[in-house]
Amino acid sequence: MFLFDNLSILFLFLIMLGVVPNLFYSFGYLPHIRRKAYYLLHYFSFIGSMVGVVVAGNALVFLFFWELMSLTSWQLILTEVKDKSTIKAARFYFFMTHFGFMFLLLFFLIVTNGNLEIDFAMMKSIASDFAYPTLLFFFAVLGLLSKAGAVPMHVWLPYAHPEAPSPVSALMSGIMLKIAIYGLFRFTFDILGTWPLEWGILILIIGALSSLIGVLYALSEHDIKALLANHSIENIGIILLGFGMGMIFSSLHLQTLSAFSFIAALFHTFNHMSFKSLLFMGGGSVLHETNTKNMEKYGGLIKSMPITAFTFLLASISISALPPTNGFLSEWMIFQSLIGSSSIDNISLKLAISFSVFALALTGGLAIACFVKVFGITFLGLHRSTNAKHAKEVNFMMKTGMILMSLVVVSLMLFTPFYMKFFDSTLNELLHVSIYKQIFPNIWSLHSVTPYGGIVSPLILLVGLIAIILALYAVFKSLNIKEKVYHTWACGYNTTAKTQYSATGFAGPIRRFFTWLYNPNEHFEKEIISGHKTKFVDASFSVHVEPLFERTIYKGSVKLVNKISYYVYRLAHFEQSRYAAMIFNMLLSILFSYRIFVHEFDWATFLLESVVMLISVKVLLIGEKR
Amino acid sequence: MIVYGLTIILLIFLSPLVTSFIKMIKMYLLYKKPIPIFQGYRDFSKLLSKEMIISKETSSITRIAPYLVLSPLLLILFFLPPIAGGEYYVSFIDAFTITGLISLSTFFLMILGLDSASSFGGLGSSREAFISALVEPAMILALFSVSMMGNNLGLGQASVNLNNDFPYAHMASYLFAAISFFILLIAENGRIPVDNPETHLELTMVHEAMILDLSGFYLMLIESAGSIKFMIFASIFASLFMPFGLHLPIFLGIIVFVLKIFFIAILVSLLEVNTAKLRLFKVPNLLGIAIVFAFLSLITFYVLGA
Repeated sequence: MFLFDNLSILFLFLIMLGVVPNLFYSFGYLPHIRRKAYYLLHYFSFIGSMVGVVVAGNALVFLFFWELMSLTSWQLILTEVKDKSTIKAARFYFFMTHFGFMFLLLFFLIVTNGNLEIDFAMMKSIASDFAYPTLLFFFAVLGLLSKAGAVPMHVWLPYAHPEAPSPVSALMSGIMLKIAIYGLFRFTFDILGTWPLEWGILILIIGALSSLIGVLYALSEHDIKALLANHSIENIGIILLGFGMGMIFSSLHLQTLSAFSFIAALFHTFNHMSFKSLLFMGGGSVLHETNTKNMEKYGGLIKSMPITAFTFLLASISISALPPTNGFLSEWMIFQSLIGSSSIDNISLKLAISFSVFALALTGGLAIACFVKVFGITFLGLHRSTNAKHAKEVNFMMKTGMILMSLVVVSLMLFTPFYMKFFDSTLNELLHVSIYKQIFPNIWSLHSVTPYGGIVSPLILLVGLIAIILALYAVFKSLNIKEKVYHTWACGYNTTAKTQYSATGFAGPIRRFFTWLYNPNEHFEKEIISGHKTKFVDASFSVHVEPLFERTIYKGSVKLVNKISYYVYRLAHFEQSRYAAMIFNMLLSILFSYRIFVHEFDWATFLLESVVMLISVKVLLIGEKR
Repeated sequence: MIVYGLTIILLIFLSPLVTSFIKMIKMYLLYKKPIPIFQGYRDFSKLLSKEMIISKETSSITRIAPYLVLSPLLLILFFLPPIAGGEYYVSFIDAFTITGLISLSTFFLMILGLDSASSFGGLGSSREAFISALVEPAMILALFSVSMMGNNLGLGQASVNLNNDFPYAHMASYLFAAISFFILLIAENGRIPVDNPETHLELTMVHEAMILDLSGFYLMLIESAGSIKFMIFASIFASLFMPFGLHLPIFLGIIVFVLKIFFIAILVSLLEVNTAKLRLFKVPNLLGIAIVFAFLSLITFYVLGA
């Protein structure tokens, strides 16, 4: 019923690392929640259900805890209902998570032959006998990645995460998305077993798209928590890049490279858990003190909230993949595995993978821009509103939570070999390859397994940086320079909060460059003085960006459903007999398609069934022309 | 070991000289009275002894960030390809880490720009963020391509390999990578088609806008970071794309290397005199060319093997 192999224990460890700091933070946050018992009940059952998914040994337990996880997190979003947008976000989340659950259920119904209590090893043999393995893979991808928030099932993240209380958003983004990654590992290795090349390419494409789209929409976002949620999409994309490369290498029988890529994906999973939880905690503290999620109302918070600011800075450096932080190490590994594509024989595949290198590099550059924006606009400069002026440092428990989480970030940076050993033993169980000796010949430097690959030594980098900074600081101290404090020079004008750059302005050049994607909705109003266009008293500028996928796929499918239901309504016309006929036809089509899916397909029966369907629809539904 | 230490000291001391050399040539070509070539050193010693003015609006970031702008770049100097004296190389980090360290320095520079609450700082960091986001992919692709020709991703080993056997077979992709890298050299160092290092007009500036509110020692740190960054790019370009002279006797080898650096400096200054600065939204076109050349280099290497 339960399973405790290395993969489960690895993810249990991940949950533990994420939950312990979160508990402190959550108890610090508790005084501001009105429905305490409600919150605590759901909070702890949420954590418990995540543990349950990871240790589940059969389909029934897995599905039970998966559903419990969805339901409790859905209720947690509804803890503090302020306005209608919360309810709307929760409903959207509820719909999306059950959309995924449906596919998981279908997946399990097929691989277990209806007996949900058999273990993974038996499912593997049933799955290998199943006639359409790609269909199974699609079910798994749709079910898991709609939870993980990969493109195009990512749309719920920027709505659901901001509405939840901050500790819960940290948990959801930090851990719950990783549970879906756990599912991906478990399903591909333990149930599907082997895979063709195309599956890996599909995952790679989804990863590249998610990483770019996540970071681009993050840049255009001014709600701090929605911005972080968009970055979750980006990072899930990066994890999927590693995972996809691992699948590609494995199907080409390059076992070492494959293990390296999977380890990179696992490492990034851990790293993203650490820094994204920290960022959500920091963002939550800021939100808690200023009572607004709008970044344009922050500013200068580093003076009143130093601990929040510096932990946030650490996480920002890490998520921007800057050395020597852990985020850099895992992104470096994923780069290395992408570069390992040079040892593939297939030229078109090699060329295609170089576009993923491009996507990942562009993502890295844009992520730096985005986090300069977040950190600079939120914590630096002058207070942009009275709310920001009255902000204080958060209480002791919340501070403890943030500091503990930054310790997790630092530990991932310093004790990389230890974590690697753990990942390696997990991969050894799944792929039967051990590469720890190759990537860490000594504890100082991390080696790539690609031919002619690179080396990075995080510890030496860190020590070198600290030594150089200390030397420079010693020079500064020995010079004994006089200091004078004066206002910032602004060409003779006063430096005020309004003359600073805003978040909208900061992202301006990038927004203008990517206009074709953003299609921004700009409003510019000004009150002109006596007919002069250039002289005005009051002006306001606002930009709203509606995400592409929401505009097309989601709104489009809503329109489609509306149209279909209109036709159904016209056909049925409130007559009971017609409704009954409709249900009969529906049953017939389901039975026929079930037969096609489960038994083999042949054209003769298909034709016969189609004719039967057509006649039935014509006779029962459409009837005679009146 | 001695050569290694000597190289680093040489690179540090040469960097202000190269920056003022470029300026000198430009002024000479524009019929102005050129500045003395040692002006760079004079500026640094002046800044070291000056009083500092710290803005009232800034936070502790202003006191931290200048160190973090300079120190990653100083760290890179330790891992650059060997310039003379045969095949030694320090293999602790590779090309990606070097790009990462450069980005780390840029990250803190951009944060510094936002710290002083002036609109100039924000303007500078916003533009820098835009440009460096587009530089990143071109840089990674170009380095990826060169690493395949040099048979290693570590810059030191790659340059030694290129020295030992010049990639005649892959001349086309080698040249494409060189063109791409040269554009990046200009873009990352804020040279003329992308940014003008001399003006203080808000329409044109990127790098200067971020550091308007610094003075004294901190300004010295940032200025030296600028010249060291140019030195890093020039020496990477010199060792990867002009791979000769490594096996000469040490003294001669160093002279050849310095000549190469000055040759690059002359190229840059000629380019600066002969082109106008691009509008900010034309810059992506130039960087797009860099990205396309990097891709072309990869594709020719894969498909044609040339």
